Amino acid sequence: MSSDEVLLSASGVSKRFNVGSRGLLGGRLQLSAVDNVSLEIKKGETLGLVGESGCGKSSLARCLTRLYDVDEGTITFDGRDITNLGRRQMQPLRSEMQMIFQDPYGSLNPRRRVGSIIGDALAIHGNRGKGTRRQQVQELMEIVGLNPEHYNRYPADFSGGQRQRIGIARALALKPKLIVCDEPVSALDVSIQAQVINLLQDLQREFDLTYLFISHDLSVVQHISDRIAVMYLGRIVESGPVEEVFTASSHPYTRALLSAKPIADPRAAEQRDRIVLAGDLPSPISPPSGCRFHPRCPKAEQDCVTVVPTLEILRGAGPDAQRVECLHPLEADQDLSSFTPSIADTIIGADAAATGSREVAS
Amino acid sequence: MVLLHVTDLNVSFDTDDGVVKAVRGISFDVDRGKTLGIVGESGSGKSVSTQTLAGLTRGARVSGSAQFDGLDLIKASPSQRRSVLGRKIGMIFQDPLTSLHPAYRVGAQIVETIRAHDRSISKRAARLRAIELLGMVGIPFPSERVDEFPHQFSGGMRQRVMIAMAMALDPTLLIADEPTTALDVTVQAQVLELMRKVQAEFGTAIILITHDLGVIADVADDVAVMYAGTIVERAPRDEIFYQPHHPYTEGLLDSMPGRVERGQPLRPVKGSPPSLIDLPPGCPFAPRCPYRFDRCDQEVPVLQTVFGDEQHQSACFLPTEIEERKALREQLVEKGGIR
Ligand SMILES: Nc1ncnc2c1ncn2[C@@H]1O[C@H](COP(=O)(O)OP(=O)(O)OP(=O)(O)O)[C@@H](O)[C@H]1O
Ligand SMILES: Nc1ncnc2c1ncn2[C@@H]1O[C@H](COP(=O)(O)OP(=O)(O)OP(=O)(O)O)[C@@H](O)[C@H]1O
Ligand code: SF4
Ligand code: SF4
Ligand SMILES: [Mg+2]
Ligand SMILES: [Mg+2]
Repeated sequence: MSSDEVLLSASGVSKRFNVGSRGLLGGRLQLSAVDNVSLEIKKGETLGLVGESGCGKSSLARCLTRLYDVDEGTITFDGRDITNLGRRQMQPLRSEMQMIFQDPYGSLNPRRRVGSIIGDALAIHGNRGKGTRRQQVQELMEIVGLNPEHYNRYPADFSGGQRQRIGIARALALKPKLIVCDEPVSALDVSIQAQVINLLQDLQREFDLTYLFISHDLSVVQHISDRIAVMYLGRIVESGPVEEVFTASSHPYTRALLSAKPIADPRAAEQRDRIVLAGDLPSPISPPSGCRFHPRCPKAEQDCVTVVPTLEILRGAGPDAQRVECLHPLEADQDLSSFTPSIADTIIGADAAATGSREVAS
Repeated sequence: MVLLHVTDLNVSFDTDDGVVKAVRGISFDVDRGKTLGIVGESGSGKSVSTQTLAGLTRGARVSGSAQFDGLDLIKASPSQRRSVLGRKIGMIFQDPLTSLHPAYRVGAQIVETIRAHDRSISKRAARLRAIELLGMVGIPFPSERVDEFPHQFSGGMRQRVMIAMAMALDPTLLIADEPTTALDVTVQAQVLELMRKVQAEFGTAIILITHDLGVIADVADDVAVMYAGTIVERAPRDEIFYQPHHPYTEGLLDSMPGRVERGQPLRPVKGSPPSLIDLPPGCPFAPRCPYRFDRCDQEVPVLQTVFGDEQHQSACFLPTEIEERKALREQLVEKGGIR
């Protein structure tokens, strides 16, 4: 279970990418992928990170694990400031922060046998366990639910769910403290997805692992996370314990996102109000002024266009506080669909009103 | 009223490894103005079965029939099929990037679709129709964006363009293969909303293929559950969700996060689907089925009416009487067979 000890913390982290040299004066365009993000991950917990495609989840994860250099802010891991550590200094820490990716096919070398894929990870770390390397690998295979006799097989001989288990075994081999799971079950069918989620949770208990769990599937995140952080266009707009954010979200974007979550229960699905957001995610190259959500926000007011909101505590304290980045947060009992957008310059054709910002499913 | 009547459709592929029996004797109906959801694991034959209707499975061995509007799509000549496809049957594919040509303007592609079926429509009229369609699917400033290229549109917009193209000739049937799988939930909500709107307005029948039960819950009237190339259960939507008969359907529902308390483990279906080259002799689900008994390994179950409801059919040997079936599940849960 999670303690109150913080394993990783980020403060004011920003990451920008140079994207081509365009513009009238030939100036370089910059894309703001992560903007002034602060968060904490407690030892033994699962922090869920959600948000639309391109909002910066993977970029943030890569900043936190120092696969990317950050442009601003500081990152502390296990009590140590790692913001400016060089490649060599990071090396010993690498094994403590592992990543599991979405694509179990692409992240495994197809020409190597499973035994070597997992064994290499052990070699990097230096043998610390008992027995031969083969025995250790087979033990890991058993832990993740693979048949140890398949030691000599190639990734192609395994199903998608099994390949994801190989990726998990490889990460575990290094005895990490933190595992960043970047959409680890998104490519898997539900029946297989459930197997992998259970495995991740069992391993967490057994080895006292801390997870940063990235997913666009809100039901999965709700199930596995202790706390969640919601990202929109490079910023964390709301965070807090998962129950509170799911039942009493106060950021208009969180509300809209949750209302779009598919529910595999037709009667429940029919009963809820659905907020269909107008327009698309704006470009992070020239993000909107003020609150980055204002062009799509049904609740936006005049000040939202100019004032940049910051992440403030709404209730609670410490890492378990619910925080929101909004000038006019919703009350728990307030209904977002009752607001008429006044600022949202969402550009939709008259005929397209049905896909407009406040469509409520009947 | 039945619009599409598919009977005993079989599709197989000869490969170096052997014959892949991708679709094995499926039958289903689609009613006018209704949505049939087809759900099932990856590789269960969802795409192959509908692509075969459109004549898109080249090199496959196909048998069976598919009656649509007085024409058997399986036996039809390529030219007969062409007269129906695009005009009376619109299709949307999973990946909007591969379905729109990157080098041509969006509007030109819609105009081409319209005129391919009816040369008597002038370019000008077709362009106006394209703008109208783009507006209908919620593309902002359609009269300006009609001249943009696909890469200038977001993923959600491209998928909406695909719907616009599929709807260009007012088809009576729309086949949508995972139309929202590549999209974010917020955009998915927009696209599903749009499909609902189109159906309400034009009475279009829809076949919606997905592996997402949440999408099925949202838009399907009837559901067919596919497993290893066969339909294992078929029923109106609510029956599937609240009174499933087939253990695979039950397993799919049980594996959903949200079906258990947080902190409890999920209830996956154990194992993985069989190879379509080398199928088990009896029930294809037997190796993974928690209810499996002797008969399951010897005989292949076929669809039969269950729970006294003509519309509800399941291919499984378990009791077809509702209380008996429920009692079996309870026993299994107690024994820890479903944890
Ligand atoms: N190396 C890079 N160079 C330039 N731009 C990048 C780079 N990596 C990411 N981006 C951009 O940064 C933004 C955030 O991307 P990121 O991959 O972090 O998003 P994400 O939330 O992980 O999305 P997804 O859910 O699709 O994985 C996007 O606009 C993306 O195009
Ligand atoms: N041209 C082909 N040659 C050989 N096998 C094929 C061919 N096309 C499809 N298959 C096989 O037929 C089976 C059914 O494939 P299909 O694409 O219909 O699955 P699906 O249910 O749509 O899966 P997904 O959810 O992954 O899209 C798969 O095992 C696939 O590998
Ligand atoms: S700050 Fe304004 S625009 Fe931003 S989310 Fe809050 S109300 Fe909406
Ligand atoms: S026929 Fe037997 S093995 Fe197949 S689903 Fe029914 S109980 Fe399970
Ligand atoms: Mg990502
Ligand atoms: Mg498919």
